[in-house]
Formats: sequence, C-alpha cells, structure tokens
Amino acid sequence: MTPEGLLLAALPEHLLLLGILAILITDLVSNRPRDAFLPALVTVIAAALAAFWLHGVGHSGAPFPGHFSVDPDAFAAKALLFGLAVPVLFLARDERQESRFAMLLLASLYGAGLLLSADSLLMVFFGLELLSLPLYALVVLGFRRPESAEAALKYLVLGGVGTAVLLMGLSLTLGATGGLTVADFRTAMHGEDFLARGAVVLVIAAFMLKAAIVPFHAWAPDAYEGASVPATAFMATIVKGAVLLALVRLFGEAGAATELLAVIVALSLLSIVWGNLAAMRQEGFRRLIAYSSIAHAGYLFLALLGPAEARFETVAFYVIVYGLTNVLALACLPRGEDWLRDRLDSLKGLYHRDPRAAILIAVAMLSLAGIPPFPGFVAKFLVFRTVMESGLVAVAVVGLVASYIGIYLYLRVIRYMFMSPAAVDSRTQPTAGFAATAALLTLAAVLLVGVFPGVVLGWL
Amino acid sequence: MSEATALNLLLFLPVIGGALLLLLPERRPDLVRGLTMLVLSAQLVLAAWLYLEFEAGVPGLQFETRIPWIAAWGVHFHIGLDGLNLLLVLLTAFLGPLVVAGAFTSIKQDVKLFHGMVLFLQFTMLGTFLAQDLFLFYVFWEAMMIPMFLIIGIWGGERRIYATLKFFLYTAFGSILMLAAVVYLAFTVLSQDGTPSFAIADLYALELAVPVQVLLLIGFALSFAIKVPVVPLHTWLPDAHVEAPTAGSVILAGVLLKMGTYGFLKLGFPLFPDAAQLLTPLIMTLAVVSIIYGAGLALVQDDIKKIIAYSSVSHLGYVMLGLVSYNLLGVQGAIIQMVSHGLVAGGLFLMVGMIYERCHSRDLAAYGGLAKLLPVYSVFFMLLTLAAIGLPTTSGFTGEFLVLLGAFHAAWPQYEQGLIYPLALASAAVLGIVLGALYMLRLVRRLLFGDTQAPEAEGGTLRDLSLREMGILTALVAAIFYIGLFPNDFLQKTEQAVIEYQQRVLPERAEGGIR
Repeated sequence: MTPEGLLLAALPEHLLLLGILAILITDLVSNRPRDAFLPALVTVIAAALAAFWLHGVGHSGAPFPGHFSVDPDAFAAKALLFGLAVPVLFLARDERQESRFAMLLLASLYGAGLLLSADSLLMVFFGLELLSLPLYALVVLGFRRPESAEAALKYLVLGGVGTAVLLMGLSLTLGATGGLTVADFRTAMHGEDFLARGAVVLVIAAFMLKAAIVPFHAWAPDAYEGASVPATAFMATIVKGAVLLALVRLFGEAGAATELLAVIVALSLLSIVWGNLAAMRQEGFRRLIAYSSIAHAGYLFLALLGPAEARFETVAFYVIVYGLTNVLALACLPRGEDWLRDRLDSLKGLYHRDPRAAILIAVAMLSLAGIPPFPGFVAKFLVFRTVMESGLVAVAVVGLVASYIGIYLYLRVIRYMFMSPAAVDSRTQPTAGFAATAALLTLAAVLLVGVFPGVVLGWL
Repeated sequence: MSEATALNLLLFLPVIGGALLLLLPERRPDLVRGLTMLVLSAQLVLAAWLYLEFEAGVPGLQFETRIPWIAAWGVHFHIGLDGLNLLLVLLTAFLGPLVVAGAFTSIKQDVKLFHGMVLFLQFTMLGTFLAQDLFLFYVFWEAMMIPMFLIIGIWGGERRIYATLKFFLYTAFGSILMLAAVVYLAFTVLSQDGTPSFAIADLYALELAVPVQVLLLIGFALSFAIKVPVVPLHTWLPDAHVEAPTAGSVILAGVLLKMGTYGFLKLGFPLFPDAAQLLTPLIMTLAVVSIIYGAGLALVQDDIKKIIAYSSVSHLGYVMLGLVSYNLLGVQGAIIQMVSHGLVAGGLFLMVGMIYERCHSRDLAAYGGLAKLLPVYSVFFMLLTLAAIGLPTTSGFTGEFLVLLGAFHAAWPQYEQGLIYPLALASAAVLGIVLGALYMLRLVRRLLFGDTQAPEAEGGTLRDLSLREMGILTALVAAIFYIGLFPNDFLQKTEQAVIEYQQRVLPERAEGGIR
C-alpha cells in the first residue's frame, strides 16, 4: 500500500483526527468554549464530503490488510453517518458551549469509521469501544440533573458488560476457528460445534446490547433521558446506525444458521412489540424516543435476515430515514429548562405557540410511524420487502402487525400538540437559533428522501 | 395544454394552493378562505373539462402520465382516467368547493391549518382515484388518513379525540394488512416476470394459486371493507361522523367511504378473480346485512347525524351488492350509486351542519315544525330526503334501481339451477328501500313537521338560509336531478371500463354475452 493509498483510504478518519487536534489547539488559545463549534462543523462536513466523494469514485483498498479495508459500501455508510452528525452539532451549539462535546463527538465518529472498515475482530472491538467510550462522557455532560450521573453509570456498567461479552465471543471465535479475522467469524457462523455457536451468539449479543434490542435494552431509556438533547440525538441515530451497519459488514455474504435466525427473529419482533408498548406509557419525550428506538432496532435487525446483497441497502436507507426524522423531532423541541422541555406535557398545545415546530414534529412522528407520504414508509416497506424476499412471509406479516401498535404512540404526540389545550405552566419558548438550522437541514433532507427515494436508493 | 398535463394540474392544484397558503398570514382568514375556494373552483372547472373531453368506448386509460419514481423497484408515478374513476374524480372535485363554502362561518379557529388540511385531503383523495400504480395508490390511500385525523381531532365535537383515534386506528389496521399483501404481490411479480413492477395492469395479469388469492384478497378486503364500511366493521363510522365538523362529515360521507368500494372495484375483485368468485356469497351476504342492519339502526337513532351516518352504511351496502353482481347493470348502478350517495349524504350532512350552527343541537327530539320556522331550509331538506329514499327522477333512484336490477339479473340464472340463496338476498335488499323510506320520513316528520320548536330560537324565529347556503344546496340538488334525469352520458362513459372489469373477474360470463 502506497502512502497515497493510505492517505486516501482513511481520508475521512484522518480529517476527523485533524479536527480533534484543531479543537484541542483552539481550546488552548481561546478561552471561549464556543469557538470549538466552527472547527468541529468544518471537520465533520469535510469528512462526510470526503467519504461521499470516495464512494462516488468507487475507491476501495486495504491499507492494513486483514485489519482495515475500505470499499464503496463502507464509504457510503461513513458519508451518511458523518452527514447525520452535522445537524447534531448544530443542536449541540444551542445546548452547551463546551468544546468537550464536539471533541467527544468527533472521537466517537472516529470509532464509527474504524468499525465500518474493520476486517479483523480486534478492529471491530477497537472501533466499538472507541464509539462507546466517549458516549459515557457525553451522557454525563448533561450534568444538570442528578439522574445524568446515574444514567451514565448505568450505561457504563452495562456497556462494560457488553464489552466483556464481546471479548468472550472473540476469544471463543479464536478457539473455534483459530483466527480473528472477519472471515473467521463468518466461518464460525456456520460452525456446528458448541464453541463456534457460543462465539457467534456472544458477539451478536454484544451488538444487540449496543443497538438496544430487548432484552438488552434496559440502559437505553435511562441513558437517553439523562443525556442532553444533542447527546440523545447522537446515540439514537448515529451510534445505532453505526452498530447496525457494522453488523451488516460483519455478516457479509454469509447467511445466519437456522437456529440463529430464529433467535434474531424472535428478539427483533419482541423488541418491536415491547418497544412500542412501553413507549405508549412514557411521560418524557426522550424516554419515548428511547423506547421507539428499541422498536426501530427491531426493524433494523429484521433487515439482516434478507438476502445478502439487499442488506446493506436496506439498513443504510433505514438508518438515513430514521436518523433524519429523529434528529428533526429533537431539533424542534421547544426551548426551556431541560426537565421541562423533556416532559411530553410541555408539547400540549404546541401548535398554537409554535406552529412550525409542531408541524415538523408531526412530520417526524408520522415518518417514524411509517405512514406515507413520509420517507419512513419507504424504509419500512423496504425492510419488509427484504424479509419477504428471503421467504419469511409470516415473519413479515407479524412484524407489520407489530408495527401497527407503534402508530398509537406517535399519534399521541400529535394529539398533544394539535388537540390539547396548553399546559398552564408551560414556560418553554419556540425553537430558534442553531436548533432551527438543524431542523431546517434535516427537513430539507427528509423532503428529498421522501419525494425522491429512488435517488437515494440508487446512490447506496 | 396537453391533456395529460391537465390531469396532472388537476391533481397538483391543491399542493400548489397549499404552498401559497403557507405564505398567507394567520390573521387573515378571509384571504385563506378565498384562496382555497379559488383553487378548488379551478380544480372543478378542470375536472369538468376533463370529463367532457373523456371519450366513451375507448378501452384503457386516457390522459395518462407514466414516469419512473423509484426505478429500482419498478414504481412509477402513473396516473390516468378511465370509466371507473372518472365519475369519482368529478364528484371529488365537485364537493371540494362546496365543503369550503360550507365551512365559511363554522370554522373559526386555526383557519389556515383547516384549509391546508382540506387541500391535503383533496390531493390525496384524487391521487387515490387516479393512481394506476399499486405503490402510488397505497401512498395516497394511507396519506389520506392524516388530514382526516386532524380535521376530526381539532375541529370536532366533544368526544373528538376518541372518535379520531378510533377512526385512525381502525383504518390503519386495515392498511397494515393491505401493505403485507402489497409487499407480497410486489415480490411475486418479481419472481414471475423477472422485472419489478407495481403497475396495476401488470398485476391483473399475475397468475396466483387460489389459496394465495384468498389470503391476499382478505388482506385487501379488510382494508376496503373498513373504509366502506361493511357491517360488522362499521363501528368507527358513527363516532367519526358525529364528532367530525360538518366539512369532515361531508368529505367522509361524500368521498372517503367511496374509497373502499372503489378499492374493491379497481383492485380487490379484478386482482384476485378466483378468490372473488369464491367469496361472492359471503360478500353478498355482508352487503345485504349492511343494507338492512344500517337501515334498522338509522331507524332508532335520536342524533340526526347518526341517522345519516347509518344510512350511509345502508346505501353503501347497495354499492357492494352491485359490484358483486359482475354484470353491466349492477356495476354501473354501483358507480352511479357511489356518486349519488356522495351528493345526497354530503348534502344532508351540510344541512345538519347548517341547523347545528343555528341551534347547537343534533338531538332530534329538540326540534319540530322547522317547516314553519325555516321554509327554504325545509324545501331543500325535503328534496334531499326524496333523493335519499330513491324516488324516481333523482340520482338515488338510478343507482339503487340499476343495482337491484343487476343483482336480480345475476341471481336469476342461479335460481334456475336450483340456487335460491342469491335470489333471496337480492329480494331482501329490496326491503332496504322500504326501511330507507321509513327512517328518512321519520326524520323529516319529526324535524320539519309537528309542534314548532327549536333550541336557541330567539323570539321563535330563526334565520333562514343565506344566499351562500342556498347556492351550495342548489348546486347539489341540481346535480342530483341531473343524474336522475339524464344518466345516459354517465352510463356511456363508464360502460367500457365496466366491461373490462367484468372480463377480468368473470371471463366466462362476459363472453356468454350476459349483461
């Protein structure tokens, strides 16, 4: 591998690293923490554009053979995840001014980049850890409430368990196949012996924990609630997307063995049902988003069951749509005290205080519910078409019916905003400033994906 | 302007209107109303022009547009007019301006959002009728629920939230199963033809095993039957109708309910002909049960809106009966009946809205002798009642008469072969007409005649219809009598499409020449 190749293959990651350095230097020279915003924004945009361009020219290569390799799919995944980080940064600019947020976010994105190019299980582990470690800090950065610390600790402990499970899985893979490459893992997926099966189950369980699939979901509602709004947006969209896209890469051409398939189907459906049911009872907006994200993780895992060539497209499209609509909803939350704006009650009568925000949140909710003409419908359609294509007609039907339960919870938010009188003590203000920019950016993207889904699907 | 452009313009006018609406200030409801009225009137003119330009006897679609939308899946933006949707498009465009005019004084809060939702609804309803691609159809079909959900939920009566959630959750449940069937069809097309396609014409050509057809038809039929609504899936309807604002009720009764019957006509039966034939006795039974049960319920209601709501269940039972007769008379009768019911029930809901605006009560017992208080109102109410009963010279007669004729036509040969059941059902359907006269005359007697009383009538007087209200009702009554007296043109323009429908569902009978 030539130096140019090395430079090019990991260009988005290099840019992120440069950005982190730039923020560190800015932090030293300037005493205004908000100065970190601009370098962070430029970095993320540059990294996303670099990945977009490399995807466009169809670059592929393996600068570190057996550990780190890139192909157009990897670049597409990076481009969409880094692109999603742009509105999140705008959100963060409104929320808090510490440069720490931007730095942690970039570090986590760097982890996502490694994860999405990993060829060995060690690299997977490394990427996943680098993705998660800054998150623990990000959660605690919302340290305005005592719950934040508790949530961060809970997340840390469960995340630690996830790490341990993953490591155990890796060592079992090594024992079963004698290697630690991704190819070895795929061999293990079809292994008949106890060791190989144990290895695969443990690795997938670790991924399920990171993606918040029932029964590994318990951390998500607390972590989302404890974190600040931008941190929630980051966890719900980019981190979840990175984990799922990495799993697609890990599976590669391989299909799952029948027993494993049954487990994935069962847990995915369980996640959809439980996520939707539990979300109905929530009184906080972020907890609602958390449970809804558990249900959506279920759809994403269902997409893994499809034929190998359709998986990446399905998951990537779903992540784009799901990520955009989630960020849109969070960006439109009314401003105010953190605990106040999180209360679902604060949304009551929002249409009369801030019609634009109410309409945009409604668009996001309907898209998450998978109701056309919003892009969430196309994403849902894609997932269930993929599932049906692989012959699991019954699973698709059950999944669709389970998704029906979710409609109620999204309607509830709309009902609050449009049909309920405002709560007496609502002291929230309409959205403005950088959050409005974030909303505008995501809205434009949502409309683009909604009106021309074919273009996006063609790009992937 | 090319003709296909005109059809696209017809469809997208509400979107353009909605975009312009966004620019208007919330403080100027008069401008908002004026703009919406203008847009919808232009739409009506366009629809009328398209109707006149539509050529009878030409097979296939006219004014067709077909451009790729999601190329990889074979999804096209594909719209066109044929004999099946022509009259329904005209009906939708006709009711649009009347609905807005009817809401001039009754909608006072969130005027901009209301008119935006009416335009959104108009767009999705026309889209559903015009779509010739199953994916596109589904998108419009589902999207339709959103504005209706808001219209009932925001401007509705006291129990509006319960009613609107019930409406949405009922219809969404049907849609989910339909979606499963759509996904399955999509993937069957791919495996049979090798190229993905959602074109409804391609789907007609699919060869499916009978058990698969039955399952898929159930998926589609559940969704359509909830919309129609067919007993026993009708329980959302009275709640939605009663709680909806007048405009919502008019659109619901006038157009939305026809989506279900149109769905059966366009997709349900012709896509799965073998299953349709297999299930015909069941569908026929449910249709007749709807006719009689709906009429029976209408007979005992004390809420004026509920009477009309249940009468809708009964009248749409006739449409279903006509559709499963699979002969020219019955199916054309069903189409005329759809339009007729749209006009009559729409008109009756508008009239209930007008009296509610004056007296704030829908309780039948609170009224009496309105003929003396509101003479002009009473004349119009009487005319609409006669049309609802199906008196000759009104559209109701044309529709119901043709449907019954068709049903008997289909039942008679079967009777000669020893099958009594279809004939018995057709005869039972006649009973619905008697019941229809009974409940409508009961409504008229208690509302218009008897001792004079009306809530909130200050000094024993009420303001009679304004010019605006008279204009709306005159337009409706004129249309009702036009269809009743001159149905020929409508029948000619729908004939070719109905023959095609018949050939798809019942090839052998169509070839046998039985009409």
